[in-house]
Amino acid sequence: MTNGDDVSTPPQSAPQGADYFSVFSLPRLLDLDMKAIERAFYRRSREVHPDRFAQASAEKQQWSLEQTSLLNDAYRALKDPIARTEYLLRLEGITLAEDAATADRQEKKNVPPELLAEVFELNMQLEEMRMNAQMGEDDPQLRRDLEQAQAEFAGQFAGIEAAIRTEWGKWDAASNSDNSADKQAAAERMAALLDKRRYVRNLVRDVQQALGN
Amino acid sequence: MAYSDKVVDHYSNPRNVGTLDKSSTEVGTGLVGAPECGDVMRLQIKVNPETQVIEEAKFKTFGCGSAIASSSLATEWVKGKTIAEAMTISNTDIVKELALPPVKIHCSVLAEDAIRAAIGDWKAKNGVTETAEVAVAK
Ligand code: FES
Repeated sequence: MTNGDDVSTPPQSAPQGADYFSVFSLPRLLDLDMKAIERAFYRRSREVHPDRFAQASAEKQQWSLEQTSLLNDAYRALKDPIARTEYLLRLEGITLAEDAATADRQEKKNVPPELLAEVFELNMQLEEMRMNAQMGEDDPQLRRDLEQAQAEFAGQFAGIEAAIRTEWGKWDAASNSDNSADKQAAAERMAALLDKRRYVRNLVRDVQQALGN
Repeated sequence: MAYSDKVVDHYSNPRNVGTLDKSSTEVGTGLVGAPECGDVMRLQIKVNPETQVIEEAKFKTFGCGSAIASSSLATEWVKGKTIAEAMTISNTDIVKELALPPVKIHCSVLAEDAIRAAIGDWKAKNGVTETAEVAVAK
C-alpha cells in the first residue's frame, strides 16, 4: 500500500470562513438530526485524522490538524441544544445579553418584571435559609416553601426549554420558506427565552444548594 | 480577577443595605436585573415631597461583588441629591469611581438602571411626569 492520500482525491476541506453548520454541509436550521450529525462527525474525523497524514507533507499535516480542530469545535457547538441556539442567533447578528456584558449599554431587557420580583423574593428566602443554617437552625416552613419553589422553578425551566424547541420549528419553517420577517421574530423570541432561562437556571442552582440536595 | 480597593471596601462593608416601606408614597422602588448573569438588585429611595431631595436610600443586591459595590456606592451618591440631580448619575461615573474592568461594566449599568427605576416609580406614584423620557418602572 502506497500512501494513497496524495494520489486519490483528498478529503474535502470545509469551505473557507465556514460556519459550524456548513462544516456538516447543513443549512442554518435548529431542529437537527443529531444522530446523523454524530455519524458524519465520526466519519469526517477519521478522514481528516492526523494519524493518516503522519507520512504526508508538513502542509498536509497542518491541514489535517486544522480540519480536526474545526470539526471538533463545530460538533461541540451544535451538539448542545442551547449552545446551538445561541450560536445560530449570534451568526444571525442577534445580540445576546451575555455578549452585551462588555458593552457600555445593553440592547434591551427582555425579562418580564414579574420574573424579577420572583427572583428577588426567592433570593431573600434563600438568604434566610442560609442564615438559619449558619446558626444551626432549621425552619421547616421555610424549607417547605423552598422545596415548593424548587419544584416550581424546575418546572419553569423545563417549560422555557420546551418553548425554545417550539421556536426552533418556527425558525426552521421560516428559513425553509425564506420568510425573513418570521425568522427575525423567532430569533428575537429565542433570545428573550434564553435570557429568562439564565435567571431561572441560577435560581434552580441556588435553591438546590441551599436545600443541600 | 483582582477587585479594586474601593470595590472590596464597599463589598465587605456595604452601606445602606436594607428595605424601605414599599407602600409609602414617599418611597420609590427600583427592581432590576442583569440578563447577562441573572443577578438582581433592588434600590429604594425616600424622597421629601416638598424639596424632592432624596433623604434615604437602601439597597439589596443578589449578585457579584461589583454589583454590590455599585449599588452601595449608588445609595451613597443619591442621598442628599434632588431627583433631578440623581438622574444625572451615570454608570460611567460608577465605573470610574470603583475602577471596574470592562467585563464588570454591566454591573454598574445595573446600578444606574436601579436608580432610574426607583425614581421612575416614585414619579409614577406622585404623578410627576415632566421628564417623559424616564422609563417608568412597572
Ligand atoms: S456579574 Fe452579574 S451583576 Fe456583576
